[in-house]
Amino acid sequence: MEKVALLIEFKAGRVKKANFGMATLVRRSGKAMCAFVVNDSAAEAQAALEPYGVQQVVAIRSGGPGAAWDPARWARAIAAAMDRFGITQLVGLTTPQGRDLLPRIAAQLDAPLIMDCLEVDLDRQMVKTSRYSGKTVATIRLSGRHFIYGLRGNAVEAQKAPVAAERLSFDDTPGGDGGFEVLETRSDGGEALNLAEADVIISGGRGMKSGENFRLLFDCARLINGAAVGASRVAVDLGWVPYRMQVGQTGVKVNPKVYIACGISGSVQHFAGMKSSGMIIALNTDPNAAILAHCDYYAVADLFDVLPELKRQLTASMSSAE
Amino acid sequence: MDKKYDAIIIGAGVIGCPIAYELAKKGYKTLTVDKLADAGEGSTAGSCAIVRAHYSTVDGVAMAYEGFKYWLDWRNYLGNVKDEKGLAKFMNTGSVLLKSKGHDWRKVKRNYDVVGVKYEEWGLDKIKMQIPVYDLHEFWPVKRPEDPSFFDDPTNLLEGAIFCPEGGYVNDPVLSAHNIMRAAETKGAEFMFKVEVTGIRSQNGKVQGITLKDGRRFDAPIVVNVAGPHSFKINQMAEGVWQGCNIKTKSLRHEVMHCPSPEGYDYLNDGYHTSDGDLGIYYRPEVGNMFLIGSEDPKCDRQEWVDPDAFYAGQGGRGRDNQLSEAQWKAQCYRLGRRVPSLQVPNQPKGVCDLYDCSDDWIPIYDKSDLGGFYMAVGTSGNQYKNAPVVGHMMAELIDTCEKGLDHDKKPLQYKLPHIGRLIDVGFFSRKREINRSSSFSVNG
Amino acid sequence: MSLFKIYVCVKHVPDSAATITVLGSDRIDANVTFLINPYDEHALTEAARIRQQHAPAEVVAVCLGPSAAENTLRSAMAMGADRSILVVTPQDHDSIFTARALKSAIAQDGEPGIILTGKEAIDTEGMQTLFRLAANFGLPAATNVVKLQLQDAAALVECEKESGAVDVIRMGLPCVVGAGKGLNTPRYPTFPEIVKSRKKEVKKIDVAALGIARPASRVEIIELKPAVENRAPRALTGSAAEIARQIAAILKEEARVI
Repeated sequence: MEKVALLIEFKAGRVKKANFGMATLVRRSGKAMCAFVVNDSAAEAQAALEPYGVQQVVAIRSGGPGAAWDPARWARAIAAAMDRFGITQLVGLTTPQGRDLLPRIAAQLDAPLIMDCLEVDLDRQMVKTSRYSGKTVATIRLSGRHFIYGLRGNAVEAQKAPVAAERLSFDDTPGGDGGFEVLETRSDGGEALNLAEADVIISGGRGMKSGENFRLLFDCARLINGAAVGASRVAVDLGWVPYRMQVGQTGVKVNPKVYIACGISGSVQHFAGMKSSGMIIALNTDPNAAILAHCDYYAVADLFDVLPELKRQLTASMSSAE
Repeated sequence: MDKKYDAIIIGAGVIGCPIAYELAKKGYKTLTVDKLADAGEGSTAGSCAIVRAHYSTVDGVAMAYEGFKYWLDWRNYLGNVKDEKGLAKFMNTGSVLLKSKGHDWRKVKRNYDVVGVKYEEWGLDKIKMQIPVYDLHEFWPVKRPEDPSFFDDPTNLLEGAIFCPEGGYVNDPVLSAHNIMRAAETKGAEFMFKVEVTGIRSQNGKVQGITLKDGRRFDAPIVVNVAGPHSFKINQMAEGVWQGCNIKTKSLRHEVMHCPSPEGYDYLNDGYHTSDGDLGIYYRPEVGNMFLIGSEDPKCDRQEWVDPDAFYAGQGGRGRDNQLSEAQWKAQCYRLGRRVPSLQVPNQPKGVCDLYDCSDDWIPIYDKSDLGGFYMAVGTSGNQYKNAPVVGHMMAELIDTCEKGLDHDKKPLQYKLPHIGRLIDVGFFSRKREINRSSSFSVNG
Repeated sequence: MSLFKIYVCVKHVPDSAATITVLGSDRIDANVTFLINPYDEHALTEAARIRQQHAPAEVVAVCLGPSAAENTLRSAMAMGADRSILVVTPQDHDSIFTARALKSAIAQDGEPGIILTGKEAIDTEGMQTLFRLAANFGLPAATNVVKLQLQDAAALVECEKESGAVDVIRMGLPCVVGAGKGLNTPRYPTFPEIVKSRKKEVKKIDVAALGIARPASRVEIIELKPAVENRAPRALTGSAAEIARQIAAILKEEARVI
C-alpha cells in the first residue's frame, strides 16, 4: 500500500502541535502514514502521534560531525529515507524549519513542491494555495515521481483516531558536507511562540503609538493559551518591535483561529499575511479604517481603553475556570 | 418623519464644515450630510493641505493670505473647542517659490506687494545656504522621463526664489475638518454621516430639501453643494442648476508621492514647502522624514477625468483606479530627483491617489445658482484647502445676504476679508463667468 | 586578478499594492504595475556591497520573464548591477523550469563567484527556486540570510529562524544566498545613478535558445480564483468595558480559544 511520510517537527523535545493537523490530513486520505523524525526522540513522537493515526515512526539518524541540526544533511537523509521506504509523497509544515528543509529535499529529488498549502489532495496530487499575496487561490497540479507539500500551520483541524505505531530506524551514511556547515544555532532569548503556529494573534499597528505600549498586547496574550503578539509593518518600520513580529506580505503569513488587530488600518499588504485567519476582530478609532470592512467583529474604540479592560476580563475568566 | 432645517450642507469636508460653522454662528439651524463615516474623510483626506499665498490673481493671494490668519490662530478660530481627536497643527515651514519660467512669479510678487504679504527675495547663494540639497539649475521645460531629453544635463541656472516666512502645511487635513465640525456643533450645527443624497427636491423654482438613498427626506429652504469631486453629480440633481452654470466641474484623478528624504537631510524639520514650476512639482515635508511630491499638472502629463463613484468604489484595494501608477511615480520622483540629486527613489510607489474637484478654469465656483436657495462651493481644484475657513465665512455672508434679498448675479457681493480688510468681488467666482484666461489652469490657481 | 562575478537573480512581480483580477480561469490581468520583487532589492544591495569589498568584481542581474521585465532589470541596474541578462519568455514558468533557465543563462555568461537572490517572490511565494538553482549548479545554499560575510573561499552567513534564533553557517564559494529582509536596508538609486544606469546593457536571450527540455517534474495552475471574503463585519458597541466583555465572550464561546 502506498505510504505517505510526514516530516515531524519538534520544539524543545516535544512534538509541535501543528503536526497533528498534518497527520489528520493524511489519515483522511486513507493512505498509510509514516512519520519521519530526524535526530529527535522517536519514543516521544510515537506517544504523541499514535492518537492521530500514525502507524509508523521512522527515527532518522543524520550523523556526521558538526551540529545536530543541519538542513543540508537532514535533507539528504530524508531523501535517502524516502528512497529506502518507497515514499513518493512527503508532507511537512510551512514553518521556518520547513522552509529550509522541504525546498532542499525537492531540489535534490527534482520533485515538485508547493509550500503553504491550504488543502492537499494526495490521490490526485492537487493542492490549493494562495497566490499573489492572498488575493487569489490557486488549484495546482503536481507532476513527477515524488511530490512534496508544505502545509500551512492550522490549515487542518486535528482529529484523533488512535492506533498503535511501530518504530523503525534509518541511519544515513554521512557523505561530504557539500561545502555547507552549520557552525552554531544562536537564540537571542526570544521565547515567544512562533506566530505562524499561534492559535490567537494579537497584533498592533500605528495606533499603538510606541513600542512600550505593546506591553498591553503581551499582557492580554499571556492570558490566552497559544496566543502570540504580532505587528503591522508600520510598527516594525518605526522601530517599535522587531521584524520577526511583522505580519503581512513581507513578514510572517499567519493562519490563527483568531486574529485581533489593534490600531491597524489594514493595508492590502497586511491582509496578505492574515486574511485566512479563522476570525478577525478589529479595534480602531478610525471608523473608515479598511480593516473594519474586512473583519468579523469590530469596535470603533480606543485600544488604550479597551485592552486594559480586556485584560481584566481575561484574568477574571481565567480565575473562574480554575 | 421629515425634519426641517434652515440650511442643509452636502459634504462634511474641509470646506463644508466651516460653511456649517459660520451659518450656525449666524443662527441658522444647519444639517450637514456626508456619504462617508466622518468629517474630512473624502477628498479632504487626500489633500496636501498646503498653506501658501502665491496665486496668479490678486484676489487669490488676498484670500490665501487671509487664510493664514485663521491657521495661525486655529484654537481661537474654533472657539477653543475640545476635540477628542486633538487639534490639527499648522506647520509653519515657510514657503519657497522658485523663480522659473513655470510660474509667473513677477505677477505673484506684484500681488504680494498689493496685498501686503511678507516676503524675501533670495538669490542662489542664499537658497544654497538655506537648502544645501537643492541643485539650482534650470530644467525647464517640464518633461516626462519617457522623453530621453529629460535626462539631458542642464546648462542654465535659476534666477532665485521668493520666500514667504508665513507658509507651510497643516499636518492632518482630516483632523482639521473634524475640528471645525466639533466647533460647529457647539453652535448647534448637526452632522449626519454614511448617508447618500439621491435627490434635491424643489418647487416653483425654490429648493425644498434633500432625499437620501434610504428614502429619508430632510427639508430646508437652503441647500449648499460642497460635495467635492461629487459636486457635478449633486448639481445635476438640482433643477436647472447644471444647465445654469457656464463653468462646470468634473473630477480629476491626481497622484501625490511620498519619497524618503535623502540620508543625512532632515527635511521634516529643516525643509521648506517649495513650489517648483521649473519641474512642474511642489513638495513639502511629510511625517516620517518624507518628501511629499505633488504635481502642478504640466502639459506633458496626461489628465485623467474619472467618475468619482467608480473611483471611490476602488478604495481599500478593491478597484484599480486609486492605485498609484508607476509611470507617474517615476515622473514626479525623478523630477524632484533633478532638484535634489541625493534623493533616493524606491521602486515601489508610495503616496496618495485621490480626486480633484476641478472647474473648467481651475478657479472655484462660490456662488448661488439658478435654483432659489441652492448654493455651491465647488470646483475647489486642489488649491482651496488653505482657504477653507475664509470660504466658510464668505459663503455664509453670501447666503445670508442673498436670502435677505441681494441679487448677487446683478450686483455681486463685495466681501470684506475680516483680517486683512480687503474687499473681494465674489462675482469673480461666479458660475456665469466666462472661462478666466488669466488662470494658471493648474493647481496653482 | 580575475573578475569576481556576482549574479543576482531577480523577478518581475506585480506591485504588492496592485489589485489582482483573474482573467478566464487560470491567469491574472497583467495590466497592473510590475516591479522588482522586494526581497531581490536586498540581494542587490548586498551584491553592491560585496563588489566594493571584493574588487575587481561585477554584479550581473539575471531575470526570466516577459520583455516588459526589462523595466525590472533597469531598476536592478539603477540599484547597482553593472549589466543584466533577460531570458525572454512569453509565459509563466514554475520554479523547476525557472531554475534550469537561470542556471543555463548564468553558466553561459560566466563563472559565478556567488549568486544572490531574494528568499522568495511575493507573487508565487514558492520559496524554492534558489535551492533548485543551487542543486543545478551543485552548490550549497542558505535562505533567509540576514548577515553575510565573505572570507577567503567561503561565505559566513546567518539565517534567521523563528523566535529570533539564527543559524550560523559556513558555505564554500561559490554558493547561493537567499536574502531575507533583515540583511540590509535596500539602497535605492539617486537621479545621477539612474542616469548612469540608462547606458548599461540588458542582454536579451530568447528562452528557446537555451534549449531546455520540458522537465518531467512540474507544477501547473489548473485554476485561479479571486480569494473570496465571506466575512460580514458586526460592530461591537458600548463602553470600553462592554466592548472588552463582548470580545472575551466571543473568544470563549464562539472561537473557543479560552
